[in-house]
Amino acid sequence: MAVLEVKNISFGYSHGTPFEITALKNVSFSLEKGELVGVIGHTGSGKSTLMQMLNSLLKPESGEILLDGKNINADKKSVKEARHKVGLCFQYPEYQLFEETCFKDISFGPKNMGLSEEEIRQRVYTAAEIVGLQKELLDKSPFDLSGGQKRRCAIAGVIAMLPEVLILDEPTAGLDPVGRAGVLEMIDNYRRQTGATVIIVTHSMDIVASIADRILVMNKGELAFNGSVSDIFTHSRELVRMGLDVPVATKIMLALRNKGLEISSDIYTLEDAAKELCFFLAKEGKI
Amino acid sequence: MIKDITIGQFFPGDSLIHKLDARAKIVVLLLFIVALFTCRNFFSLGLLFLMSIISVLISKISFSVVLKGLKAIIFLVCFTAVLQIFYNDSGEILWKPFSDKDFAITTGGVFSALFITIRIVSLILSSSLLTYTTSPTMLTEAIERLLSPLTYLKVNVHSLSMMMTIALRFIPTLIEEINIIMSAQKARGADLETGSLMQRAKALVPIFVPLFVSSFRRAYELAFAMECRCYTGAGKRTRMKKMQFALRDYLMLVFIIILTASVIYLSYFAQSTLFIFEKVI
Ligand SMILES: Nc1ncnc2c1ncn2[C@@H]1O[C@H](COP(=O)(O)OP(=O)(O)OP(=O)(O)O)[C@@H](O)[C@H]1O
Ligand SMILES: [Mg+2]
Repeated sequence: MAVLEVKNISFGYSHGTPFEITALKNVSFSLEKGELVGVIGHTGSGKSTLMQMLNSLLKPESGEILLDGKNINADKKSVKEARHKVGLCFQYPEYQLFEETCFKDISFGPKNMGLSEEEIRQRVYTAAEIVGLQKELLDKSPFDLSGGQKRRCAIAGVIAMLPEVLILDEPTAGLDPVGRAGVLEMIDNYRRQTGATVIIVTHSMDIVASIADRILVMNKGELAFNGSVSDIFTHSRELVRMGLDVPVATKIMLALRNKGLEISSDIYTLEDAAKELCFFLAKEGKI
Repeated sequence: MIKDITIGQFFPGDSLIHKLDARAKIVVLLLFIVALFTCRNFFSLGLLFLMSIISVLISKISFSVVLKGLKAIIFLVCFTAVLQIFYNDSGEILWKPFSDKDFAITTGGVFSALFITIRIVSLILSSSLLTYTTSPTMLTEAIERLLSPLTYLKVNVHSLSMMMTIALRFIPTLIEEINIIMSAQKARGADLETGSLMQRAKALVPIFVPLFVSSFRRAYELAFAMECRCYTGAGKRTRMKKMQFALRDYLMLVFIIILTASVIYLSYFAQSTLFIFEKVI
C-alpha cells in the first residue's frame, strides 16, 4: 500500500492581493514504502511548496493528502501525526539551529514528540551516528561547528524523529563534493536502517540519476513527469525546455554518439558511462 | 498572522499620488495630521475624513488592502471609543445603569467616541497611504532631504537616513526569514499556538535565536560588502536621480496649507452658530 498519496492538490499564495500566484495545479502522485524519490524542477516550479504540503505546514486549497490512508488535514490530531511521521528538512537547515549544544538541538524534535528521556538520548545518538557527527561534537555549541558539520547536525535533528517519510529540500546546496557525498551517504544509511521512504529535492541531475528509484518533474506548478530515471531522461528535449538538463554522463554519451560512435545513450551515471565505454573499446579491439 | 501586516508595504502604481514628490507627500501628511488633531467639530473632521477616502480612491490601492491595514488597529479603535463613551459626561443622559451612582452614558460621550474613531481611522488611512504609494528608497531620501538643515547642528543626517534605508530594506527579508524558521521548527513538532503564556513565550526561543544569529550574520556581510565598495558616510554624495518639485507638488502644498489654515480657523476662531455638533471636544 502507498505510504503517502497526493490527490489532485492545488495551492496559491497571497490570495486577494496584487501578488497572487498559483504555486501548485492539480498535482497527484503516490509514494511506496522504502522508495527514494527525486524531485526536480526549474526554480519557482513549486517544489518547496509541494514539500510543505506533505507534512501539513501548508494546506491544499483543493484535493487531499493521505498518509497511511488517512487525510492528514482532517483534524488537529492528524496534523500532529503528520508532522511526526513526515520529517521535513528545509533548505539550509543549519540556519535553524538554536540550542546551546548539538545534543540539545537534535533532541528538540523527539522532545516535542513527548518521548522519555532515555528514548530521546537513544535517538540523538542514533541520529548522530547516521549523519556521521562525532560523539565529542554533541556537547559543543552548534554555532562553533564548520558549515558541513552544522548541516549534519541540523539533518540529525529531523532524523532523530525517525520519520516514516523523510523529505530533504536541496540538502546538498552549498556543499563541496565531499560534503555532497556525505549527505547522500547519510540518506542511504537512514534508508537501510529504517526502511523509510525518502524524498530528495535537488537541482542536480547527477544526484537524482545516481540514487533515485523514481523521479518527479515539476514545471510551473504542475507535475510534468513521474517515472523511473530512464523514463525521465529520454525526454531530454522537454526537460531542456523546462529549464532542466540531463546528467553529465548522458550528455557525454550523446555527444560521442553524434560523433558516430556506436554506443548506447541510455546511460545516466559516470560509472555506467565508464563501463559502456570500456565495453565499446574492447569490442573495437582497442584495449 | 505575520503576513497580514500591510502597514509599511509599498504597492507600485502610476496614480497621481504615486507620482507626487515624496517630500511633498511627507509635508502634506504632516499638515494633514496637524489639521486632524486641531479640528474640533464634525464639519471639519468630516471634510478631512472625506479627503483621506478620496486620496485612497485616487491612489487606486485596492480597498481590501486598506481594510486589512485597518483591521490591525481595530482593537485600539474600539478601546479608545469605549473609554471616550464613559469618560465624557457632558450633554444629555442616554443611559444610567446604576441609579445611585453618577455614572452614565451621555450624548457628549457618544459624540466624542464617534469623533475619536473617525479621527484615528483618518490618521491610519492617510499615513498608510504614504507608505503604500512611496517606495522605501524615495521615502528615506525625502526624509534625508527634509532633515538636511540639521547638518548645521552637527547631526549626521546621511548616516541616519542610511540606517533607515537599510532597516526598511530588511523588513521583508526578516519577515520571510521568520516564516521559514517558524515552518522549520513546526516541522520538528514545535507547538507555537497552544499552551499557557509562559509555554508560548518559551516556544519563541527556537524562533528568535536563529533570527538574531542570522540578522547579525547579515549585518556583518552587508558591512563588509559596503566597505569593499569603499562606502563611507562622509563627504558629499551626489544622486543618480534628482528629486524635482513639479507643478502638481506646489499645487498640493498650497491646497493643504489652505485646508489646514481653514480647519484651525473653524475650530478656534469662527463663531459657533454655523455647525450642528459644535465643539465636541
Ligand atoms: N511565502 C510565499 N509567498 C508568496 N509566494 C511564494 C511564497 N513561497 C513561494 N512563493 C511562490 O510560489 C512559487 C513556487 O515557489 P517554490 O518555493 O515552491 O519553488 P521551488 O520549486 O522550491 O523553487 P527553488 O528551486 O528556487 O527552491 C514561486 O513562484 C514563488 O515565487
Ligand atoms: Mg525551493
